[in-house]
Amino acid sequence: MEASQGNHPNPNPNPNRNNSVASSVPVWPTIDGPLGLSEEESVGYARRFYKFGFALLPLLWAVNCFYFWPALRHSHSFPRIRPYVVGSAIGFAVFATLLSSWALTFAIGGERLFGPVWDQLVMYNLADRLGLTGWS
Amino acid sequence: MESSVLECLGMEIIGVMSPVSICMFLVVLLVYSLSSPSTTTTIATAANLVYAENPSDTTAQKLEGAVLNAVVFVVLIALVTFLLVLLYYYNCTAFLLHYTRFSAFFVLAAMGGSILLSLLQRFSLPLDAVTSFLLLFNFSVVGVLSVFASGGLPILLRQCYTVCLGIIVAAWFTKLPEWTTWTLLVALALYDLVAVLAPGGPLKLLVELASSRDEELPALVYEARPTVNTRNHAAAVGFIVTTAGVSDSETSRIELQVVSRDNDNNNNENEINDEGERSPLVGRNEEEEGVRREIGERGIKLGLGDFVFYSVLVGRASMYDLMTVYACYLAIISGLGCTLILLSVCRKALPALPISIALGVLFYFLTRLLMEPFIVGTATNLIMF
Repeated sequence: MEASQGNHPNPNPNPNRNNSVASSVPVWPTIDGPLGLSEEESVGYARRFYKFGFALLPLLWAVNCFYFWPALRHSHSFPRIRPYVVGSAIGFAVFATLLSSWALTFAIGGERLFGPVWDQLVMYNLADRLGLTGWS
Repeated sequence: MESSVLECLGMEIIGVMSPVSICMFLVVLLVYSLSSPSTTTTIATAANLVYAENPSDTTAQKLEGAVLNAVVFVVLIALVTFLLVLLYYYNCTAFLLHYTRFSAFFVLAAMGGSILLSLLQRFSLPLDAVTSFLLLFNFSVVGVLSVFASGGLPILLRQCYTVCLGIIVAAWFTKLPEWTTWTLLVALALYDLVAVLAPGGPLKLLVELASSRDEELPALVYEARPTVNTRNHAAAVGFIVTTAGVSDSETSRIELQVVSRDNDNNNNENEINDEGERSPLVGRNEEEEGVRREIGERGIKLGLGDFVFYSVLVGRASMYDLMTVYACYLAIISGLGCTLILLSVCRKALPALPISIALGVLFYFLTRLLMEPFIVGTATNLIMF
């Protein structure tokens, strides 16, 4: 009985959602929809994650973009959230580019490019030296 | 009505079994990638305080030592669980919350870091120190935020990190010696049975305490803000216990016993809502080890300890042969199915370990002792295959 009730759609609380033109405008600012945050809460969270991303936490920028994807995707919706999400997207893109460039340069260049310092910086040698390989 | 009931039930079962299967699969992959027969480093932990298993010991010595190890470990867990109940009873929830966050960070950063280093060495990936540190730091901090922040992060991320915690702890548990592991699994299944079902059991007390406190909270339900309830409860519950070993902290065992209670009463019946409602309850698989399974009003909650010990069993089986892995996996999933059926009948919190662990251990030894010699013998003599 409870399960069957769950399948009956209630009258839609937002009549605009029945409009075919307005249906392209997202109602919820987060990908979790009604289970996520409201617009008021989202502004604070988006700002907080955007600022925390500067503390060597660019993954939070990525999470910000992922969570508030509706705000990022639709350019005219949620004007107060969008600056933080766009800023997070730009920050993460820049950081990912820089880190990927460095990591690839290090990996591909190898000892020819970096000399003996490469052996000291590469992680598995460093792990051996510091004795961090207790697991394997 | 019948088809819709079956559909909902099936989705709930899949929602519970998918992360369990993913966790077990990844632990088996980790064990296969990183274990080498030459490595016999035995790490001293809470699980083998009494007796360090040695291959040269006699069978009687191994059995006796393993039983002692298991008993001591279970006693430790019971004591710590009662301590949790006391702390929760006296409203030390802030301490419990901070301790939980520290433990999650420790699992992701220290234990996860060790596994990362082993993977880098195994596959000779030339990752530099700066990149490794940045990746690990981000992974750990975002993990702590996602598992314990209330509502500020995606549900999918929370689910992924919950599975990651289970994988990391299970991978560490597979480092225990063989006899100790099997005895420990059986002992934990029995402890789970007692702790959840016996009156006065620590986990039963914990669930009843949380239930009584939940009822006191005003259930304010808003269509657009179902997280109001979650935020109230997130401050109330959530603990992880560290049972420290004798050696340094890197080899400490994290016994995950996370309790959460979710009274989401979302009346919004949109299709998106229906789809979204199931995943957070699955993603909030943060039940106490004993309070493994509980039907909230919306879904099934599975404890993180279940992930760990299912994966430990399958990981240990993968050290022997793939046949035992398949047998154990099927046994555990069948046991989980049985527990879910019992859950729908009993409608109260049930321990999830006993049936699955019993079937898993039984199938492992049957496959190892009976099935494999039979199949290998017939295959060698070209009678079969």
